[in-house]
Amino acid sequence: MANDRPSFMSQLCFGSIEEEQILPYPKMKDSDQEVFKNIRSSIEQLLKPHEKDFREWDAKGEMPASFIEEMKQFGLFSLLISEEHGGMGLSTTAYSRTLQELARHDGSVAVTVGAHSSIGMRGLLLFGTDEQKAKFCPKLATGEMIAAFCLTEPGAGSDAASIKTTAVQDGDDWILNGNKLWITNGGIAQFYTVFAKTGGQAERSNITAFIVTRDMEGVSTGPHEDKMGLRASNTTTVIMDNVRVPKSHVLGEVGKGFKVAMKILNSGRTGLGGGSVGVMKKMIALATKQAKERVQFGKPIAEYGLIKQKLGNMVVDCYAAESAVNMVNHFIDSGQEEYAVEAAITKVFGSEAMWRTIDEALQIAGGNGFMREFPYERALRDARINRIFEGTNDILRLFISLTAMNEVGGQLKELSASLKGIFDNPIKGFGVISDYARRRASLSTTYVKREKAKFTKLHPALAREQALFEELTGELAIAVDRVLRKHGKAIIGKQFASSRLAEMMIDLFVLASTMSRVSTAVTEKGAASVTKELEILQVLTGQVKLRVRANLAKIDENDDEFVKSLADHALDVEGYLWDNVQ
Amino acid sequence: MPLKILVTAKRVEDYESKIKVNPQGTGIVAEGLKYKINPFDEIGVEEALRLVAKHGGEVVVVSVGTKDVHEQLRHALAMGATRAVWVNHTGPMDQLGVAACLQKIVEKEKPDLCILGKQAIDDEQSQVGSYLSEWLGWSQATFASKEESLESDAEKSKTPAIKLAADGKSITVVREVDGGLQTIESPLPCVATTELRLNQPRYASLPGIMKAKSKPIEEHTPAALGVDMTPKLTVTRMAHPPARKAGIKVPDVAALVEKLKTEAKAI
Repeated sequence: MANDRPSFMSQLCFGSIEEEQILPYPKMKDSDQEVFKNIRSSIEQLLKPHEKDFREWDAKGEMPASFIEEMKQFGLFSLLISEEHGGMGLSTTAYSRTLQELARHDGSVAVTVGAHSSIGMRGLLLFGTDEQKAKFCPKLATGEMIAAFCLTEPGAGSDAASIKTTAVQDGDDWILNGNKLWITNGGIAQFYTVFAKTGGQAERSNITAFIVTRDMEGVSTGPHEDKMGLRASNTTTVIMDNVRVPKSHVLGEVGKGFKVAMKILNSGRTGLGGGSVGVMKKMIALATKQAKERVQFGKPIAEYGLIKQKLGNMVVDCYAAESAVNMVNHFIDSGQEEYAVEAAITKVFGSEAMWRTIDEALQIAGGNGFMREFPYERALRDARINRIFEGTNDILRLFISLTAMNEVGGQLKELSASLKGIFDNPIKGFGVISDYARRRASLSTTYVKREKAKFTKLHPALAREQALFEELTGELAIAVDRVLRKHGKAIIGKQFASSRLAEMMIDLFVLASTMSRVSTAVTEKGAASVTKELEILQVLTGQVKLRVRANLAKIDENDDEFVKSLADHALDVEGYLWDNVQ
Repeated sequence: MPLKILVTAKRVEDYESKIKVNPQGTGIVAEGLKYKINPFDEIGVEEALRLVAKHGGEVVVVSVGTKDVHEQLRHALAMGATRAVWVNHTGPMDQLGVAACLQKIVEKEKPDLCILGKQAIDDEQSQVGSYLSEWLGWSQATFASKEESLESDAEKSKTPAIKLAADGKSITVVREVDGGLQTIESPLPCVATTELRLNQPRYASLPGIMKAKSKPIEEHTPAALGVDMTPKLTVTRMAHPPARKAGIKVPDVAALVEKLKTEAKAI
């Protein structure tokens, strides 16, 4: 089922539009839709009666054990487990859509389920042996075992390879020691996917993934953390004190744990994007209702331009995020291996679009939005972590641009040898890049692929958007080349430049997904019945055009050095120096 | 004594959807609508499941419509119904056509009891149950409810509100009537219709949804059943209720009485 299609974005960096990857817009299979609709209505029946409880549990900072039991009985922990092992066997698309439903009702519920399925047990699904799966999957499906993903440590956040937890071989077993921090489901889990150093501290990337279970001697958890948001979801430290783990509990290969961790996070990210979309839909529903009910200056505030501006943009953000998330889910379901960049894009775009949407919904609610009695402030608190966990959006921006550009380097034959491997571990494996600038200088023309520079399958109703997308794609390819040429091996350290390219890539992928969706809708239903979707596309295209062009312009002309200089100054004086009162 | 119970699962618009009448005034705008099983039918499914849990037997769920109704049939199957019957029909239909299809299915299935929603929340006709009992020549027990509240222990323990006699030949049903409750006994077979206060339907768990995937759905067509689906009822016009006018403030009781006399003509 696996296919070796290249990453859509890495090809876009060459100026190639791999349209067959994104057209027609993917649709959930009829049989999946039927099952999903049943799931949706059941979730509604399960969670709606708890609406008041969610607020209370947020205030208390805990959800009761009886509710976790109810979630288990309902089967919420079985979503990704195969039918063979007693689970629902949902596709990535259906799973992500289900998380959307959960997130619509409550963030803490969604993250409890998401931490279990998206990352807690994903390593077992991706790398587990048949024996390991047979042993644990049935228990994970019923919720008898809840899963948690244990990577982060006090000294190792974004720099995951710097973990201090150790695993030392002792006969047929491994002895694990270390502390894991901020582990979602830590206190309620029985199944931990734990990452530990297996090559001593000197070997930075010699990490191995282990299955650790709660009943092993030496495993303990700390108190439930007092958090800003997602307060009812359980977050604790997980401590391993001379925990003896049999070698049959190694996940994947010994020493290849970093790859395991990255693969888990890559495939888990669309779950977060899905959750974001669910929250956005809810916020749009709340905000429109609020805008129609609230009367000021003699009419509902919905009639004022600035309120409409917010609502309209919320709709565009939501549609765009939904399109991108659904597209990447389709990549994964169709067996495509190269989707890490696109998945990271959905996480970044989704979490930020969600943040904007909640913020604007809260603004529409005015003073009410600031009150705990209303749902907005909780939604905002719950959403904030999405820009931090499972890869901060800052790290992911670097990941997006460096990974997507890696292909450009790889394709340039004369550079491939020296570039090879440099981007294999883009988050932390920032090694030495070849002197790309020097080599590129010897080439007289810009390396941009010219085949596939155009769409051939888009509906003609999108001609204007198509032309712009093709133009921007060409400009991206030139920009990638120029940035690499300009910075050479220093690109790894040029975070301003990398992040700017990432912004363009994010915008272009989101636009491509949205174009695909609208084009397919026009083809299927006719332009007359999708006028609103065409309007969404028009607005999004306008936004993307401005942003991409601005980012392009800043490649050569920017104030980066001044911004850095000011940062250095602030760092030097440890604060802000100026005051009107001297 | 095991019971064979036939229940229905009409596909209706979700009551939380925003319903809009189309510009021609001939129907509603389908775009963006979510659909559900008619809540009264769902109560019927629940009651049937409780009866079968207590006395044994099977629950057969029926729906008439396009393939879309599979979603509602699967919902009932996921709740626990044994199997489903689908009358495949595209195009308009009215309560007479639906009741006629149900009659044919009942004649094939020969259940001991039919439990239908007292009405569907879309067209609010409230007629199918009564047509069905009339054409079958069975007794009917409409508006089935119960004395205990939905917070009672009887409800929590999922005790069926419809009681089966010891000899299995009749049922006792508490009906909601104007101003109170009426208890009736009806011989089986019988057609019962449900009130909102009969029970609180269970939700289908995810394992239930998985099991439902492999439960059979038997297909029929009105033609093969010998039913003419041509509606005898025509909807001539559909419109939203007029928007409520804003209220006015009156300075005192005298002014209120005056307005009630002259404007509202209420006194």
